[in-house]
Amino acid sequence: MLRKKSIIDTGSLSLEDIDLIFANADSFLEVSERDVKKVPALRGKTIVNLFFEPSTRTRTSFEIAAKRLSADIINFSSSTSSVKKGESVIDTLKTILSMKVDLIVMRHSDSGAVKMAEQFVNVPVINAGDGKHQHPTQALLDLYTIKKIFNKLEGLKVAIIGDFINSRVAKSDIDLFERMGIDVTVVSPAMLLPEDFSRMKVKHSIDDVIEESDIIYVLRMQFERQNRKFYPSIMEYNRFLSLNKDRLLRMKPGSIVMHPGPVNRGIEITDEVMDISGEPGERITIEQQVTNGVAIRMAVLYLILS
Amino acid sequence: MVSVKEDNNVKNILIKSGKIVDPIKRTESVSDIYIKNGIISEIREKIDITGDNIVVINADGYTVSPGFVDMHAHLREPGFEDEETIESGTLAAIKGGITSVACMPNTSPAIDNQSAVRYILEKSKNMACNVFPVAAMTAGCKGINITEIGLLAEAGAIAFSDDGNSVKDSKLMYEIMRYSRQFGIPLILHEEDSSISKSGLVHEGHYSTILGLEGISSLSDDLMIARDIILAARSKARIHITHLSTKNSVKMIKRAKEEGVNITCDVTPHHLFFNDSCLTTFNTSFKVKPPIRSEEDRMALIEGIKGGVIDAIASDHAPHLDTEKNTTFKLASFGTIGLETLFSAAFTKLCIEEKISLPVLINLISASPAAILGIDAGKIEAGKVASITIIDTGAEEVIKKESFISKSKNSAFIGQKLKGKIVCTVSKGKLAYRDKCIKERSIS
Amino acid sequence: MAEKAYILNRDEIDRIIKRISHEILERNKGSENLVFIGLQKRGVPLAKRIAENIEKFEGTKIKTGKLDITFYRDDIGQNIKPIAQTTDIPFEIEDKNVILVDDVLYTGRTIRAAMDALIDFGRPKTIQLVVLIDRGHRELPIRADYVGKNLPTSRDESVDVRLQETDGEDSVVVIRKE
Repeated sequence: MLRKKSIIDTGSLSLEDIDLIFANADSFLEVSERDVKKVPALRGKTIVNLFFEPSTRTRTSFEIAAKRLSADIINFSSSTSSVKKGESVIDTLKTILSMKVDLIVMRHSDSGAVKMAEQFVNVPVINAGDGKHQHPTQALLDLYTIKKIFNKLEGLKVAIIGDFINSRVAKSDIDLFERMGIDVTVVSPAMLLPEDFSRMKVKHSIDDVIEESDIIYVLRMQFERQNRKFYPSIMEYNRFLSLNKDRLLRMKPGSIVMHPGPVNRGIEITDEVMDISGEPGERITIEQQVTNGVAIRMAVLYLILS
Repeated sequence: MVSVKEDNNVKNILIKSGKIVDPIKRTESVSDIYIKNGIISEIREKIDITGDNIVVINADGYTVSPGFVDMHAHLREPGFEDEETIESGTLAAIKGGITSVACMPNTSPAIDNQSAVRYILEKSKNMACNVFPVAAMTAGCKGINITEIGLLAEAGAIAFSDDGNSVKDSKLMYEIMRYSRQFGIPLILHEEDSSISKSGLVHEGHYSTILGLEGISSLSDDLMIARDIILAARSKARIHITHLSTKNSVKMIKRAKEEGVNITCDVTPHHLFFNDSCLTTFNTSFKVKPPIRSEEDRMALIEGIKGGVIDAIASDHAPHLDTEKNTTFKLASFGTIGLETLFSAAFTKLCIEEKISLPVLINLISASPAAILGIDAGKIEAGKVASITIIDTGAEEVIKKESFISKSKNSAFIGQKLKGKIVCTVSKGKLAYRDKCIKERSIS
Repeated sequence: MAEKAYILNRDEIDRIIKRISHEILERNKGSENLVFIGLQKRGVPLAKRIAENIEKFEGTKIKTGKLDITFYRDDIGQNIKPIAQTTDIPFEIEDKNVILVDDVLYTGRTIRAAMDALIDFGRPKTIQLVVLIDRGHRELPIRADYVGKNLPTSRDESVDVRLQETDGEDSVVVIRKE
C-alpha cells in the first residue's frame, strides 16, 4: 500500500512508494505479455477517468491499465471551455461521487485543480496532469523506463530539452530524477525558463549536452499556444533545440532519447529521426515509455485500491 | 449575523485604567478616559464618576488606542451587495477596531460622480463607523476620461484612485496629477503594469514555477511606480502608493522621499505576513493583487516599516463569495478580507516577531493614514468625538472562518494563530463593539 | 512465547519428494505431456526438485514454471503485502497435464486463485495438485492429488516450511502462537 492514497504530485511519493510501484510494475509488464492480458485483482472496483482537458494517450493508458486489472472504468470528458466556472468541477465531482466510484483519475488544464478536487472528495485521486504543475504517473513511467534500460539511476546524466516553464512533465520528472541522484540539465531558451533559474543547471543549446548525456529527454513544443508566442520561429527552434539526425548520431553509445508523446514531428524531433532504422533508431524509447506506462498505471491503481 | 451593534442609549462611557497609546508622541501611559455624550470630556488619572447611564469599562491591563483608520477597503456597495455592504463592512471594521474606513470606488457603477459620493456618505451616516469615499480618477476606473475631481472633492471624496487598475496612458496620468494638485488631494495609486502582469496569478518566482501557476513579475509594480514617481516629481502632485509588495518599490519610494517627491505609501498585513511559499496548498485565499511575493520582498517591506519609508498599513479588504474562491486557482477572484484581522495580523508579525514597538504600529493604522487622507482621526483628545479602540495584547486566537462578521469569509488568515485582540471599540462617540470578555468586566 | 514442534527434517523431505515423483509418474503413466508449475514462493523450488527427480528417472527434459497468484486473491483489501512476485510460464499449457506444486494446503483459497490464473494461460488437460503438507481446515471443495504429509493442526498454529533454496535449510516446523 502506498503511504498516501492519492497521487497528486511526485513530492508526495516516498522512495519506498516508488520501489513498491516499480516492483509491481515488473509483474504487470509480464501480465501485459500474456495472451489473456487480464487479472481479476480489482474486480468490482469502479474507476472514473475524469478529463477536463482533452487527452488520448494518458486516458487510454489508464483505461487499459484499469481493464487489465478487471476494474470497471468510465470515461468522463468535459472540455474546459464549457466549464466556465471551476465550481462546476465541484458539481461534476459531486455527481460522480454519488455514483459510488472507488477512484478518480483526473486531468485539468488549471494547475492545482486536481489538488482542489482531492480535498473535496473522499476517494483516492490520481493526477493525470494538471495545467503546468504536475503529471506524476508520467514521471514514474519515465523513471521506470530509465531504470529498466540502464539498471541504475544514480549518476546518470539527463538533459531535458525545450519548453520547461509550461511543462508539467519536466517539473515532475526533475523532482523524481534529482531525488534519485540523476544529474539534470535543462536546455531551454530564456523565455521558456523562469525569470530566476539560478536553482537549476541550465544550457541554451542542445549541442551543449548532446554528446555527454545518457538521456536526451525531449519535451513537446506547441507553437500555437498563446504563451509560447515569445519564441521567434520553428527555424530558430530547429537551430538550437531540435533533435535532428546529425545530433542523434553524435549521442554517446548506450544513450537514449525519450519524449512524453505525442511528438510534433519537424519541431522538437525531425521526421528523419522519427523514421530512422537500425541501431540509432533503437535509441528512441518512446514506445517503451508507452508500454511501461500501462504497467506503471496498473501498479499505481492496484496499490491504491488493494 | 452576529450582533456587534451595542446599545445606543448609552450616553456616557468611562474607560478605567487602560494603557493609553499616543501614536504621535510614541508614548504609553495609564489613565482614565471619560466620554460624555459621545465627546471625550476628560483624560486623567483616576476619574471617579457615578450616575445614571454610565458604562464603566475596566481596561486594566489593556491598551487603549485611537480608533484605527483603514485607508484601503472595498465595501462593495453599490453593485456587489452579495459580497459586502456598507453596513456589514462597517460592522466588520469596528470588530477590527477600525473607526474610519476609506472605501474604494471600483463598485458597480463606480464612484465616479457626485451622486455616487453622496450615496456613500448618506448610506454610511448611521453606520457603526466613519466611511470616507475615495472617488475614481477616471470614469468607471477605465483609465480613459478624467473624472470631475473638483466637484467630487466638494461632494466629499477624500482621495482619488482607480484601484484595481493603473492608468496606462502616461499623459492622462500626468494630467490627473497636475489637476489633483490644484485641490491638494491625494491620489491613491494601484501600481500594476498590465502588459507585464497579464493573466498572471501569483508572484513570479520559484513557487510559481514549481506549482505551474502563471507569474506576475515584480516588474509589474516596479515599472509603474517608477513612472509615477517621475510624473509626481514633475507635477508636484501628492501621490500615495497603495499595497506595496516588492523590495524595489520600497527602495524607489525611499529615494523619492529623499528627493522631495510628495509621496507616501502603505502595505497590507498579508504582504507583511506571508511569502509565496504559502501557495503550495493552492489555497485561493492567497490569490491577491499585487501577489504575495518572496521572502526577500517581505523582509524588505518590514525593513520599510522599521526605516519609516512605509507610512501606513491598510487592509485592502476585498470580500468575495465562496463561489468566487472555491474554484481552481486560475478562475478564483483576487483578494482577501482584512478588516477584522488588520491589527492582530500586523501586531503578530511586527510587534511580536519583529519587536517593533506598539505605538509605531498604532501610528501606522491611525494617526499616519489620517494625516495622509487629511481626516480628523487617529488621536485621543479631549473635546473630540470619541473613537477609541481597546486591545488585549496578550490574547491569542486561531482565526476561524465562522468568526468573521464580514459577509464574505475569504480570509488568508484562516487557520493562523494571531496575537492581540480588539476587545472594545468606541466609534462615533458610541460604544460600538464589546467582546464578551470585556462585557464581564464592565459595570453599567 | 511460541512453542515449536519439528515435523520434518531434510532427509524426510527428500524422501517425500522422491515418493511423490514416483506417484506422479505412476498415475500419469510416464512423463509425457507433464509440466510443473510451482506457486510462489516455496512451491517453486519444490516443483523444481520433483521435476529434477523425474528427469533423472526418465531421462527426459521436464518443463517447469512459476506462478504468482497475488492478483487473483479473493482477499484484496485485507492483504497487507501486495508485492507480486514473478510469474514465468515459458511454455504452452494447452492440453497438458499441469502439476501444480505448493508447500502447504490450508483453506484452499490459494489453489482456487492458482487455478483461475492457470486457466488464463490456456486450457490444460488436467490440473493435479502436489502439496508438501496438508494441514486441514479447508474452506473450499479442494483436495490435493499428492500429499507429502497430512498434519492435523489447529487454526492458531502456523506451519513453517523452510527450504534450502529460499530459507537456507530444509525443515517443517509447527509453531503454536500464544
